[in-house]
Amino acid sequence: MTLRPGDAGIAATGVRRSFAGVDAVRGMDVHAAPGEVTGLVGPNGAGKTTLLLVLATLLVPDGGSVRVAGHDPVTEPRAVRARMGWSPDVFGLYEGVTAREYLEFYAAAYGLDAARRRRRAAALLDQARLGEFADRPVGVLSRGQKQRLGLVRALVHEPAVLLLDEPASGLDPRSRVELRELLRELARAGTTVLVSSHVLSDLEELADRVVFVDAGRTVGDHRVAALPRGTAWRPWRIRSLDPAALLAVLDQAGVDHGEPGSGGVDVVLAGDEEAVDLLAMLVAARVPVAAFQPVGGSLEAAFLSLTDQAP
Amino acid sequence: MTPAGVATVARQELRLRVRRGRWRILVAVWFLVLLGLLALLRLALGSLGPLVAGQRGGIMYGGLQLMVLGLATLVVPALAAQSVNGDRERGVLATVQVTGLTAGDIAFGKFFAAWGAALLFVAATLPLVVWCVAEGGVDALAVFVVTLVMAALLGTVCALALALSALLARTTTSAVMSYLAVFTLTIGTLILFGLATAAAPQIEQTETFDDGEAFTFTEPDTSKTWVLLAPNPFVVLADAAPYRGDDVEFGLDPLGNIGRAVRFVRSPDAEPGFDENGERVGGDANPPPVWPTGLAVNLALAAGALAVTVRRLRTPTYRLAPGQRVA
Repeated sequence: MTLRPGDAGIAATGVRRSFAGVDAVRGMDVHAAPGEVTGLVGPNGAGKTTLLLVLATLLVPDGGSVRVAGHDPVTEPRAVRARMGWSPDVFGLYEGVTAREYLEFYAAAYGLDAARRRRRAAALLDQARLGEFADRPVGVLSRGQKQRLGLVRALVHEPAVLLLDEPASGLDPRSRVELRELLRELARAGTTVLVSSHVLSDLEELADRVVFVDAGRTVGDHRVAALPRGTAWRPWRIRSLDPAALLAVLDQAGVDHGEPGSGGVDVVLAGDEEAVDLLAMLVAARVPVAAFQPVGGSLEAAFLSLTDQAP
Repeated sequence: MTPAGVATVARQELRLRVRRGRWRILVAVWFLVLLGLLALLRLALGSLGPLVAGQRGGIMYGGLQLMVLGLATLVVPALAAQSVNGDRERGVLATVQVTGLTAGDIAFGKFFAAWGAALLFVAATLPLVVWCVAEGGVDALAVFVVTLVMAALLGTVCALALALSALLARTTTSAVMSYLAVFTLTIGTLILFGLATAAAPQIEQTETFDDGEAFTFTEPDTSKTWVLLAPNPFVVLADAAPYRGDDVEFGLDPLGNIGRAVRFVRSPDAEPGFDENGERVGGDANPPPVWPTGLAVNLALAAGALAVTVRRLRTPTYRLAPGQRVA
């Protein structure tokens, strides 16, 4: 997929940014199309937040070209802000005001007129299942409720592009499902949604496309439906009643493994067949194996195979 | 920057302040302290009896305004000193910066909210002003001018504190620096003036008595160093009150005394001498004022501080806001 300047969506090409000599982003290409949920996946420190700050008109990049909803966040921040909603990974709320006042303040800040402010605040409170807390101070809300309130705040001006930094962290399972449904609904209505996460399983059911980033670079860009399953590198966890014997056999067979933990030892294997072979070998060597199971979903597997974490 | 944008920010700031509830207690304590001080001043004047007849209210008003300004230098910096970096710490500033509000909207909205809160403290002293007026001898023009100048000076303090909160990452640092800035204006100008005057060349002053006897002495030339004293808020406030001349009759009016003293500092020749019968000799009945210079310095400081605040709030930035996470 290619986006030309002037198109909706997000087109960031060759974005670079360093801080005091440390390269946080060193050549990221991230494209997100309207009507799709795009995941931005990478380990902590990969540069996800820096990229989102650039897209959110807060930070000037060192280089690269960036278009958000057809405008340049550096030279036309006002045009971008009118069309873009952003929710940072760590944010605070004005604790003293009520949930309704909180949303109405942001609606006013985006220049909505009084009638539309009230309408939007009421609609978003319903959307965030906070209707009954509308006139309670924000300070009394639970962590998950605050998270939902902060999320719908980014929607107050009905943006065409939505940037969410780690929106799933701190959400309970029900809220996660609701987040997924909310984002799917926005995408169906034509919104461009970019969601960052380091928890891959969060995005597996959420995103249409996934952009993998690591150490400040884009390392992969895939449709989730097209990700290889079953045959890719993926981690497996082995638990034995005799950990020492297990490690001895793994070392002897030359299988790379992680540090043994309470849950067992993690190994990275290329597909199911290699797993079958290893298990047979362990049984043959009379290692008392109590558990032998794949860890994580296929996104994690894909991610591992794309970065140098795979052998 | 638009009036609507500024108003949106100011309303939100004031709403947050009012909800916190502490301000009621603060205003109440503020009023009671000033009431106590004014009552003491009234008692002291009462013991002077006929000496201050007819001007008791004027003296009380002058004393009250100096006390209001003195206490305000303790209260007002706190109103703005954590305004910007406090929002950064709480993680709400960036979410406001990506809205339609401009850096100017945010800076001026926060400024007007802090200034409005400061003026609320001044307004709370209204019953005390009424008391002064009831005692008699209060000049209506003085009340008008002093109130305006007081508002301008408190605005300067708010602007300085706001700029420091935008420049410094930590709220405690900006609070301390705000008090230090106010301290520089009130005490620092005095110290600077004193040191500069001590280093200034001596000039010879001659006073001639009526009987022809001349008396010559030397004193430091303050005709240039007075500028260092001029920005002092107490000097500006006192000298801005209508000049009452150097008639000893008004010798107890605190505003008049300070105003007279600083005008003589600016124009050493304006100070009259007295002959052996106590009659004044020479001097200038209407020496040039000090307060316009001082007020101009204060307003320039305020304008500079607001400009710095707007600059620091402008996004996108090349510099990362202090304390912001990178990746």
